[in-house]
Amino acid sequence: MKTKSLGSVRKSFSPWTDPDAKPFIRFENVTKTFDGTAAIDDLSADVYEREFFALLGASGSGKSTLLRLLAGFETPTRGRIVLDGEDMTGIPPHKRPVNMMFQSYALFPHMNVEQNIAFGLKQDGMAKSERNDRIAEVLKLVKLENYGRRKPHQLSGGQQQRVALARSLVKRPKVLLLDEPLGALDKKLREETQFELTDLQYELGITFIMVTHDQEEAMTMADRIAVMGDGRILQIGTPPEIYEAPTSRFVADFIGTVNIFDGTVTARNGDRLKLETGAGHLLEVDANEESVSRARSGEKAAYAVRPEKLRISAKELTGPNVLSGEVWEIAYIGDMTSFHLKMDDGKIVRVSMVNASRESPVQLTWHDRAWVSFDPDAGLLLAN
Amino acid sequence: MRQGWTAFNIVSVIIGFSFLYLPIVLLVIYSFNASQLVTVWAGFSTRWYVQLFNNQGLLDAAWVTLRVGVLSATVATLLGTFAAVALTRYTRFRGRVLFTGMVYAPLVMPEVITGLSLLLLFVAIDFDRGFWTVTLAHITFSMCFVAVIVQSKLLSFDRSLEEAAMDLGATPAKTFLSITLPVIWPAVAAGWLLAFTLSLDDLVVASFTTGPAATTLPMKIYSAVRLGVTPEINAVCTILIAIVTVGVLSATLVNKRREVRRARESQVAFG
Ligand SMILES: Nc1ncnc2c1ncn2[C@@H]1O[C@H](COP(=O)(O)OP(=O)(O)OP(=O)(O)O)[C@@H](O)[C@H]1O
Ligand SMILES: [Mg+2]
Repeated sequence: MKTKSLGSVRKSFSPWTDPDAKPFIRFENVTKTFDGTAAIDDLSADVYEREFFALLGASGSGKSTLLRLLAGFETPTRGRIVLDGEDMTGIPPHKRPVNMMFQSYALFPHMNVEQNIAFGLKQDGMAKSERNDRIAEVLKLVKLENYGRRKPHQLSGGQQQRVALARSLVKRPKVLLLDEPLGALDKKLREETQFELTDLQYELGITFIMVTHDQEEAMTMADRIAVMGDGRILQIGTPPEIYEAPTSRFVADFIGTVNIFDGTVTARNGDRLKLETGAGHLLEVDANEESVSRARSGEKAAYAVRPEKLRISAKELTGPNVLSGEVWEIAYIGDMTSFHLKMDDGKIVRVSMVNASRESPVQLTWHDRAWVSFDPDAGLLLAN
Repeated sequence: MRQGWTAFNIVSVIIGFSFLYLPIVLLVIYSFNASQLVTVWAGFSTRWYVQLFNNQGLLDAAWVTLRVGVLSATVATLLGTFAAVALTRYTRFRGRVLFTGMVYAPLVMPEVITGLSLLLLFVAIDFDRGFWTVTLAHITFSMCFVAVIVQSKLLSFDRSLEEAAMDLGATPAKTFLSITLPVIWPAVAAGWLLAFTLSLDDLVVASFTTGPAATTLPMKIYSAVRLGVTPEINAVCTILIAIVTVGVLSATLVNKRREVRRARESQVAFG
């Protein structure tokens, strides 16, 4: 319930659309090279105060490095980072108003859970009674109230991860950097912690930058998502923007599942393009303004459609935007069913269908012939 | 797989252990010999121990050795630990390979050369030879042993622990004292013990660098033996063996206790 109301409050939160809003964290042309190869390559981005900013990207794309640059463990080879109006260049980690949760947890092995969490508070010289209140509060948050006296090696992986999270949270920094904070938790605990984290972030007004491998997690938690590849940010946007309007093939492919049809533009009529795919299918698709101005007759283009925007049928369909193939795979996932169709040219097309009623509306089984159709505005024309 | 006690195994164990411990056992037995002659058994007696504790020269030497050992081991541990930290942490300074090599070189340097070069140095700077020169010399050669031990521990040390501490607001000095040192502590302690032992049984370097006022126990024993082995020397050595044995055993026990405690804690957690 709490999260529902929260969501509606957050809806009005969009400082990135406001040209007068002052960014809280600025990465200005930051480059970081290790032995000549760039882990971060001329990256610029703005993060706003109280924002929940998620970093998504393949392994080795530079997500952890970006966090480490902000925390002060690495110095940029070129460029600079500005936090709350202050240039961070040359400021050591212990003087930055930033706390980080490490991908490897980095729990102090010779201290028990309470001592681990107390460490940061002690550095600030906080009084013992207040410290104990804070520790109790944060232990409750991560559901480890009875584990205060345990040493890290006496905890399971998921419990260790929660201690690391508690330790980074307890100081209530201006900016919290989370490097895959929930990866080791089971689904239920992970969802609970996600909600608690968003609540906490909202209550305390902390700016979060979170690395995650879990797209769903990024989608549900973040205000904006940055998709990284090879040390660059390929796209920054709100979850719907990233999902519905990816600006590149890489992002479309990386976020969620997508069917991409490569083809040649054969005709153009206003906003409507005719595209002929290699397999000889004729597609009639809407193009957004940008690609319309670019795509000319005879040029190569790609059309991307999400599986849920395709309709599947056991009856023969005709017309444009109709494909047919053999049912190659059926996966029943509960709330929906996912079909893999093998086209005549060997290409696999994924279709998903919401199971709105208990009886499946289409009677399809393995190796049946099936037809797939979509509307001209179902997908997106992509730059190659 | 369990290996049975075959005759071959038993024989090889007996031969191996006799080779190692027979001389020591003989020495211990003969220290309780009533006879003046070392090689003739004449019944049990503790007279050599009584005599030993009335031998002021030997007691003085033991006292010098103990002081040199504790002082040099402590300073060598400090310096060696810092050297190890510098060499593992500041990996990007120029000439690091050279420096690492230079720290290791004294490990393989013949003692005679170490002793001689130190002697030359002390003579050149006109330093009165005695307690301080031996101590300095011992610091010099035991420091690199400490550095090697601590360095191996630091190499397996997870740097992100230090980063986490600094991230939580600890200064680099505070981080070293409250995070790094407690974690590498066993290696530092082992380094101290090794440095102390090395100092305790060093003869060559001490002979080069000491003066008449500060004779160490090994030097005393050596010079006494040159005049003939006496049961008294056997008694001294037996006491030394006892000290070393107790030291090694207690170090092992402390370690063992820690392991047992750790295992028990884990059992409580997961059992
Ligand atoms: N200290 C370092 N020395 C040399 N190369 C490094 C160092 N740290 C990171 N790199 C390189 O930089 C690149 C980015 O690494 P980074 O750890 O930021 O990736 P990541 O996006 O966090 O990946 P993952 O999802 O696997 O955690 C990698 O190619 C990595 O090999
Ligand atoms: Mg990473």
